[in-house]
Amino acid sequence: MLPFSYALRNLFRDPARLAQTVGGSALVVLLLVAAVALNQGMDRVLATSGSSKNVILMGKGSEESIERSEVHLEAEAAAATSIRGLDSQLGVSAISGEIFYQAPLETESGNVEQALFRGVLESALLVHSTVRVLEGRFPQSGEVMVGHLAHRKLGVDAEQTAIGKILKFEDASFTIVGIFEAPSTVLESEIWFDRNDLAAITQRDTLSSITLRMDSAEFDDVEIFTFQRNDLELSAIREDSYYEKLSIFYKPIKMMTWVTAALVAAGAVFGGLNTLYAAFAARVTEMATLQSIGFTRGALFVSLIQESLLATLTGTLVAFVTAYFLLDGLTIPFSVGTFSLTLTPMVIGVGLVAGFLLGTLGTLPPAFRCLAPALPSALRSH
Amino acid sequence: MKNLIEIKDATKSFHKNKETITPLDKLSLDVGRGEFLSLMGPSGSGKTTLLNLIAGIDSPTSGEILINGNDIAKLSRSQLTRWRAQHVGYIFQLYHLVPILSAYENVELPLLLGKWTKAERKAKVMAALDLVKLSDRAQHRPSELSGGQEQRVAIARAIVHDPELLVADEPTGDLDRESADSILRLLGDLAEKHGKTIVMVTHDPKASAAAHRALQLEKGKLVGEGHLLSH
Repeated sequence: MLPFSYALRNLFRDPARLAQTVGGSALVVLLLVAAVALNQGMDRVLATSGSSKNVILMGKGSEESIERSEVHLEAEAAAATSIRGLDSQLGVSAISGEIFYQAPLETESGNVEQALFRGVLESALLVHSTVRVLEGRFPQSGEVMVGHLAHRKLGVDAEQTAIGKILKFEDASFTIVGIFEAPSTVLESEIWFDRNDLAAITQRDTLSSITLRMDSAEFDDVEIFTFQRNDLELSAIREDSYYEKLSIFYKPIKMMTWVTAALVAAGAVFGGLNTLYAAFAARVTEMATLQSIGFTRGALFVSLIQESLLATLTGTLVAFVTAYFLLDGLTIPFSVGTFSLTLTPMVIGVGLVAGFLLGTLGTLPPAFRCLAPALPSALRSH
Repeated sequence: MKNLIEIKDATKSFHKNKETITPLDKLSLDVGRGEFLSLMGPSGSGKTTLLNLIAGIDSPTSGEILINGNDIAKLSRSQLTRWRAQHVGYIFQLYHLVPILSAYENVELPLLLGKWTKAERKAKVMAALDLVKLSDRAQHRPSELSGGQEQRVAIARAIVHDPELLVADEPTGDLDRESADSILRLLGDLAEKHGKTIVMVTHDPKASAAAHRALQLEKGKLVGEGHLLSH
């Protein structure tokens, strides 16, 4: 076998080629890492937003969208009294009738951006168990509580959604009195209003949905309730199933991410292949000389692979460092919330595999072409 | 003198554009152990083809190539590669040194295929470089050496693993007269003092004259022998 140092030193034979190979593989890996992190982040936020213990009651026929759903106000009390085995705290049933609304919101800085509103009462904290008030308190009339990533959805600095700041919706002003977190859920991008305020300002006399947290009750119990109270025109869906459906809705977007990443990566791969072809073609005589000395094609092939792997894995490292500084923790707003990009072990694993495949599979064609010519003719080529 | 090389009816042919080309046609040849043989002839006469067959770089279409009694024409490609690693040193016209390696590392290459320790390799490399009078240039890269020095490094690389057979393809073809004479003296010494069997292809009558015996090839056949033919 040729010493590893031969592969290492060959890397620096042509610094421009090295930079091109490292840069190309870094770009491919970075794109893949970004695509995987993006898809994983979106999947994670949608998967963790729903609880298997929660059931959502929505208006029949509008199961696809909470925004379009309308539920009679009396359905909340009816559900609380009719469905046995709901979770409760201090005698208060874990049931939360909510109004969900999307509309432009103006911050103190004058920035107007589409925002996600949820009109709630304090009972919302009983069903949305991941919500923790980080600062301040639950809102009363004329006040709002914001998710700690709401500023990302609004496209403003975090200080624009700090406690004491004013948010304007329609002609009314609301003071921020609380900031909450609900790790890795869409709730973190929302702005929570007092339910009656939101009902008044949106001129609604109905709820969007009712969320129930089950203790000993089962989904069937809730569904039976919807059948028994046919007059309320309700439909029940598990909260986790609802977000799973939403996830399917975002499939085309995820597909687009993959296609874009694949197209750019393909360009980089072909560019890299071209570079390797040119680099290896210039070494046909050298490879033939080494074969004439007694090195087998296999040994030379391994050396070429080592050389390429060194370059592509260096590119992979560059991609990881870039991703760490540019992507890791980056929050991205989308229609129903905000998700964050995280360099999880899976994302890093995909990047490593991509770097490895670039260095091995990507090297196969140029390496074969370099080692294929018959020795007598290869020794004469210059 | 017992023969190291015995070639019997070796033919090499290949097809090109529906035409059969025969660079070597039923050629037979014996080369004695420790003999310095030169092959001369016009371009296309088959001398490099013959050299490649002797070196195990190429295989004949038919015939026998016996080296030390072993018919290398019957060896597979991988067997030939292993055989070359032990028995042949190849010297090229354009030296073919690996540019990123120092003279020392270039000479060390054939030893990496054996089971020598690092210390043993060092001793052999330095002995080979000493023999070609380049031990003071061991750490120089090919780009830092003259053509003559590069060819000396290539010769050191060819002899470092102590093969019984050296093949040289126009070893002085790219050198000035002074360097060429120096290389020819070195090859002569390797045959005379170290018992190496050397087969050299050359166009240069003066280079050919340095050999014990000169053979003339034309159209794939031996057409003459002796030094007088080259003068």
